[in-house]
Amino acid sequence: MIMASTLTGAAPDSNNVYPPTEEMLAKPVDEAATRRGAEELRETWKTPKGFRYLTAVNNSEVGKWYALSAFFFMMCAGVLGLLIRLQLAVPGNDFLSADRFNQFFTMHGSAMMFLFAVPMFEAISILLLPGLLGARDMPFPRLSAYGFWCFIIGGVFVMGSILFGVAPNSGWFMYPPLATEAEGIGSDIWLLGLSFIEVASIAAAVELIVGVLKCRPPGMRINLMPLYGWYVLVVGGMILFAFPPLIAGDFLFELQRSFDWPFFDPERGGDPMLWQHLFWIFGHPEVYIIFLPSIAIAAMVVPTAAQRPIVGYSWIVLSAVGTGFLSFGLWVHHMFTTGLPSMSLGFFSAASEAVVIPTGIQLFAFVATLMVGRVKMSLPMLFIAGALAIFTAGGLTGVMVALAPFDWQAHDTYFVVAHLHYTLFGGMVFPLMAGVYYFYPFFTKKTLSVRTGRIVFWLMFVGFNVTFMPMHFTGLMGMPRRVYTYPSVMGWDLLNLISTIGAFIVAAGFVLFAIDLLRPRGKQPLAARNPWKAGTLEWSHNVPEENWGSRSVPYITSRYPLWEQENIVERMDKGRYYLPDAPDLKRETLVTTVLDARPIQCLRVTGPTWITILAAVFTGGAFIFPTFHWYPPAIVSGGAAIACIIYWLWTATSQIPAKDKEMRDVGLSLKLPVYASGPDSVGWWGVWITMLGDATAFASLVFGYFFYWTAKPDFPPAGTEHALAGPLTLGVAALIASWASIYGARVVNRKGKVATARTLLIAAPVLAILGSGLFYFSVAGSGLDPTSHVYPAIIWAVMIWTIVHTGGGVIMQCYCLAGSLFGKVTPEHDSDLWNVTLYWHFVCLTVVVAGLTIGLMPRVM
Amino acid sequence: MAGTGKNEETKTLAEEADSLWLITFAGSIWAVHFLVCYCATAVICAKLGGDAAAILMLRLALGGVTLVALAGIAFVGWRSWLQWDFLDDGDYVHNLARKEDRHEFLGHASFLLSIISFIGVIYVSLPVLFLETCQ
Ligand code: HEM
Ligand SMILES: [Cu+2]
Repeated sequence: MIMASTLTGAAPDSNNVYPPTEEMLAKPVDEAATRRGAEELRETWKTPKGFRYLTAVNNSEVGKWYALSAFFFMMCAGVLGLLIRLQLAVPGNDFLSADRFNQFFTMHGSAMMFLFAVPMFEAISILLLPGLLGARDMPFPRLSAYGFWCFIIGGVFVMGSILFGVAPNSGWFMYPPLATEAEGIGSDIWLLGLSFIEVASIAAAVELIVGVLKCRPPGMRINLMPLYGWYVLVVGGMILFAFPPLIAGDFLFELQRSFDWPFFDPERGGDPMLWQHLFWIFGHPEVYIIFLPSIAIAAMVVPTAAQRPIVGYSWIVLSAVGTGFLSFGLWVHHMFTTGLPSMSLGFFSAASEAVVIPTGIQLFAFVATLMVGRVKMSLPMLFIAGALAIFTAGGLTGVMVALAPFDWQAHDTYFVVAHLHYTLFGGMVFPLMAGVYYFYPFFTKKTLSVRTGRIVFWLMFVGFNVTFMPMHFTGLMGMPRRVYTYPSVMGWDLLNLISTIGAFIVAAGFVLFAIDLLRPRGKQPLAARNPWKAGTLEWSHNVPEENWGSRSVPYITSRYPLWEQENIVERMDKGRYYLPDAPDLKRETLVTTVLDARPIQCLRVTGPTWITILAAVFTGGAFIFPTFHWYPPAIVSGGAAIACIIYWLWTATSQIPAKDKEMRDVGLSLKLPVYASGPDSVGWWGVWITMLGDATAFASLVFGYFFYWTAKPDFPPAGTEHALAGPLTLGVAALIASWASIYGARVVNRKGKVATARTLLIAAPVLAILGSGLFYFSVAGSGLDPTSHVYPAIIWAVMIWTIVHTGGGVIMQCYCLAGSLFGKVTPEHDSDLWNVTLYWHFVCLTVVVAGLTIGLMPRVM
Repeated sequence: MAGTGKNEETKTLAEEADSLWLITFAGSIWAVHFLVCYCATAVICAKLGGDAAAILMLRLALGGVTLVALAGIAFVGWRSWLQWDFLDDGDYVHNLARKEDRHEFLGHASFLLSIISFIGVIYVSLPVLFLETCQ
């Protein structure tokens, strides 16, 4: 056994003490110091007033806006659901036209999935994480704000299209050829609008992952992390690997719709199956992306209800991670009826069943915790219990759907609609409601009405079953889904009418809930500080509200600090722990190591600004104008977005502190650097994680290439041209040289040879531009016509993808050069160089793989 | 000021590098095995569909791959069992703020993960044993 004391000495500096001794922690704090610290923090973290309120970037504001917008979109999608049910209430109804009906169910599904389920998880996590981790804020507050503004712009655009009757109408998974050939701009709105939102979702995921890895309070080792943190890691990771294939698919799809590149057109060598593959590589993990966060909420509610630590912490962590892995293997079970050879089908059928094991383990751990604890049936627990019942039922029908032969009949009937909603309500809506009731006092410092809450629960629970239970039977009787009307067949009429009535009962529940959620609470007394007597750190929040997140950042030695660490809240309040003040009136939070959470940096985080909103508006333009085929404004808008982002990075990130402010005394005899670069800095981790997602998208494109090769006998077509070998080889070589230059620049700059570094920083973009040009020419100059066949089309797509990345790389290299010239990058302060070099590692890999794929493969195949 | 901090982050990561790798291995073996099975079947069925001999070869080859995968996962499981060190101190909660708890927790988690992956691999390969044609 290793004693904690052998771990002392966070830094060689002998004045530094870490970890703090009990003696240090027990020492009372001077009253005046407490008061002064509180005032400084209040001043530093105050939220802007008036219309400047919109410039806020604090997690508590952005999270609130995010959650309310997601809720708003959910209500819109719910209204569409009701209208669908109204149309289906009686046979032969003509309340909605067929086209309108198609738009409605497409938008209902798409909005529920992309505008509600995923963003809601991110919103709640943004609200919750800093509290849970005793941090002041997320590591990149402006990134969350940017993500939010992108989300709201994209969401309003996509949702708004329904008012003009031009919404997408090919179902939420947009199968070609239906969707490729659909008239109007509906499909384009779906592809571009939702890609835009997916990019925002990925940005939020990066933020959340880095937050959990690097912003935990000192001492919160990986084995002490709240379960919610683990789920954030798993779900964030899944978003990172699941969304990019869809984005790659959107990219190909939009190229086909805008420029007639035949990726999904069998006449010219394309294959609609590629879309289905890419969509479901995303689609299945998506189901778990939606429901793991809800399990995370349960993992917070259950121990509190049982008033004891969770049983089987390691088991739960492992199951969450295992579910994350396995869910990617489920991708083709959605295509059981599309005629893959049955032998490969077998694998998927098997993989679908395997995921039941980890899911079961998590549920068992919760039940076990409840059984050994003393449970109080609080309102959140009631919702959890309802969720469990519904989800189990959904799981059973899911196994039925997963068994391939059964699927042949059930596929595309109302049985699937019933199964889907059982999983989604049980796995998402009900646990989310539990979470809202549970965390409401934390979010707003007031409580929701318990009496109303019980009515809401019963309306939803009963209404839900009345709506969706009958659909199992209509499905088994053969009623297909996605039909706008049906003939009066025996049995169908009554069941459909019951479903419609049920839908209105659920809706009544939601309306009642919304009223209770949003009604003004001016006079209502404040909630108790820890109303549920929970053990996790977020319940050390301040009532009435303070914006500083955590009065002082505690030293953690247990999983349930509020139960197991005496006096912790009192000491936090007094400012006994880290960062109890803000003498420079700068927003700060602690950065710690990934495994053991040893403090390594006092990070200056960014404050209120308009630039994120501007950046989001222009980014929106770059995605939205192309739906109307207005390319010049789109390009201008994209350029403006890049300019905004550069301005934002230049003025607010990696600022070099003044000479005497390099180290910050964070309290408890610990001094930490204010500046960090490389793996110590949060920015580096952010780049790393983002690039993982980016590499996944590229891998999906390459997968497309090989997919065509296995699926199509005429790929590459006989006698075709290829990419020009000479220019391609030279181009790849120049780009590799550019990568070597930026890497070299980082190394020599660190050694203090600034002049050499600058020379390399000039060479790097020149080489990159040269290389990109050659790379472009090797395809464009080869006579390959992307509209003629899928082979040239995919080569063009890979080429464009590559040079967009090298182009971005050129901008970043110039940014570093400017940094070096204007004193933003110095030998000691080189985090920009580290981040750009990291980006270029990935670009270099992309270039090499792209070169091999389009240059070498066709010649050896 | 990269000096002090840098050592910190790299030090703990290096210290646990083995267990961090261990934790990803079992799942990755499952994923690779799964992809190999899927890709091999897709290619053979698409290019040499009707050829019974090819399918037999495929099944034998995939059987071999499966054995290798299972052996790999078993090895990971054994290593993480050692790291978890359950029999020595009987700890399966790991809720103390000690380096040892962090270390054993990582071992425990990757042990459980290898069990899941082991079952996952068996599930995925069952069809190889039972199916005889591409139809
Ligand atoms: C009051 C609540 C709800 C009602 C009445 C409702 C009703 C329906 C109906 C009738 C359909 C089938 C449309 C058709 O195939 O013709 C449908 C599809 C769907 N619903 Fe819901 N739903 C509700 C809530 C939700 C929620 C909360 C989610 C997700 C979180 C959701 C996700 C979906 C999805 C993904 C589809 C498939 C759309 C498609 O076929 O493209 N629904 N819903
Ligand atoms: Cu599924």
